[in-house]
Amino acid sequence: MKDPATQVSRRGLMKNLIATDRPKRYAMVIDTRRCIGCQACTVACKSENDVPLGESRSWVETIEKGNFPDVGRSFLPRLCNQCEKPGCVSVCPTGATYTRKEDGVVAINKEICIGCKYCILACPYGVRYLDPKTGSVDKCDFCLHRIEKGVVPACVNTCQGAARIFGDINDPSSAAAKMLETNSVSVLRHEMGTEPMVFYIGADHSDERYAERTGVYVRVETHRRQQKRV
Amino acid sequence: MLEIHWGLPVIIYLFLGGLGAGAGVVSASVFLRSHAGDASEGAFDIARWGALIAPIPVIAGTGALVFELGSFAVGDMFRWINLFLTINLSPMSLGSWFLALFIGVSLCYAYTFLKSDAHSGDKHQAFRKMLAWVMVPLGIGVALYTGILLGAMPARPFWNSPILAMLFLISALSTGVASILLVRCVAHALGHKKADEYTGEGAQGTEESKYILAATDMLLISFEVLVVFLFIMYAHLTIGGVENAIDVILGGSLTSLFWFGFVVIGLIIPILIEMKYVLPRLLRQEHYSIPHAVELAACMLVIVGGFMLRYVVVIAGQLTGPVGI
Ligand code: SF4
Ligand code: SF4
Ligand code: SF4
Repeated sequence: MKDPATQVSRRGLMKNLIATDRPKRYAMVIDTRRCIGCQACTVACKSENDVPLGESRSWVETIEKGNFPDVGRSFLPRLCNQCEKPGCVSVCPTGATYTRKEDGVVAINKEICIGCKYCILACPYGVRYLDPKTGSVDKCDFCLHRIEKGVVPACVNTCQGAARIFGDINDPSSAAAKMLETNSVSVLRHEMGTEPMVFYIGADHSDERYAERTGVYVRVETHRRQQKRV
Repeated sequence: MLEIHWGLPVIIYLFLGGLGAGAGVVSASVFLRSHAGDASEGAFDIARWGALIAPIPVIAGTGALVFELGSFAVGDMFRWINLFLTINLSPMSLGSWFLALFIGVSLCYAYTFLKSDAHSGDKHQAFRKMLAWVMVPLGIGVALYTGILLGAMPARPFWNSPILAMLFLISALSTGVASILLVRCVAHALGHKKADEYTGEGAQGTEESKYILAATDMLLISFEVLVVFLFIMYAHLTIGGVENAIDVILGGSLTSLFWFGFVVIGLIIPILIEMKYVLPRLLRQEHYSIPHAVELAACMLVIVGGFMLRYVVVIAGQLTGPVGI
């Protein structure tokens, strides 16, 4: 996607010298206009990946706003953003958390992970958890076991409204690449500089601070154990 | 966010690791400064106590750390070895290596002082001197990295400040000094070589070195006050996540613990006590003497303050996170 000739920063130069070009770059585009908040992805993800009780790799937040009769309600599916500059990878002392060279997915080697929880603190999106069975940290890995076999992730497969679009954006003919080319998209907390690879169409970014600023009533429901948005 | 992932074991480690590293650095610096203990018997005694203290809290703190590991909790006792099968730029990786080196070197350094008749002319002197040179950078490394560890995460606005590591370093040195004075005071009270048993020059030297330590501590605490001021002022002048995070100590759930537990108990009271005894000597060359009980109390307050600092910072960083979505 990136044209190396447009990268003029020194850091970019170093990066090009060190990193080999990725043959693939998996990404997800979430079209919130098509999401009805049914939580089918939440459930599919939990059962597909045997996620322990009380934890979640993916969840769908509800944002309610406005005062009757001028009200709105929208949904925000959440998962690991498979960041280009992941805070979790740079702090991992054992190398258990790493970015896959072949497709950019941020994965965890559970045999190596010692469960120090440094990465849980370093992720600005609160998507990591400690698996009480293995003592290692876990999170969404774009369903590696599925995509390596050429099958789409469980949440994408189950989404009734086709709100989740998954694909290799290095391939211009992929659905995900086309969505990125033809829509205005946003990412979550872009100011953190993590360069997420999960993009949203029509996401409602309002929260309590927005409510304070505008006087509009806003209520966010996370539908996960952590009742405050993290 | 808002969940405490790093609890008491990490707090205890950051505190004890800092204290031990500080004691090691102070011991080695006092030792080297007094021409390897030749210049004054008192300085040698201080270096000796510092050397004997240093490894103990660091090892205890590191031991506490494993209780925070998820792998340990599921009964995998030794998966932490993975830390030492690799080295990367993660502050925890570099820190673990520094820590392991520090523990090794500080144990050897303590060994050279172990005998109760250790003195500057004995057979370990050359080895001791060599180790002292290594202790200083290693100890500073260990004390600094405890702050870098927390500061390395933009996702944690309360911690993500370059001055946090400085604050931890100064606090480590100051609690290190306090622990040496404290242990020495207690050991002497328990009947080890009494300060006044030194004859002539020796007694003078002891008072002199106690004065140097107290004056150093006074200076360290005043720097600490400055760094705390800068930390808060810059956070307050920022907008967004950092400003939001600092609220937790400027009118949030940790405000009283921070201001009373750390600033008043750990900084203001001890520095006032030390000023009362150090300034007459510093400004008017009067004789320095401080009652045992007062010295003990000041040292304990500094140590309690050091713990409170780690406690408040570790918890505050986890209670706050990025704002917006
Ligand atoms: S969202 Fe969090 S866990 Fe996922 S890659 Fe980014 S920093 Fe890492
Ligand atoms: S918990 Fe595991 S994956 Fe996370 S930083 Fe520690 S070793 Fe790395
Ligand atoms: S890609 Fe897989 S692991 Fe990630 S949210 Fe979807 S189902 Fe869960």
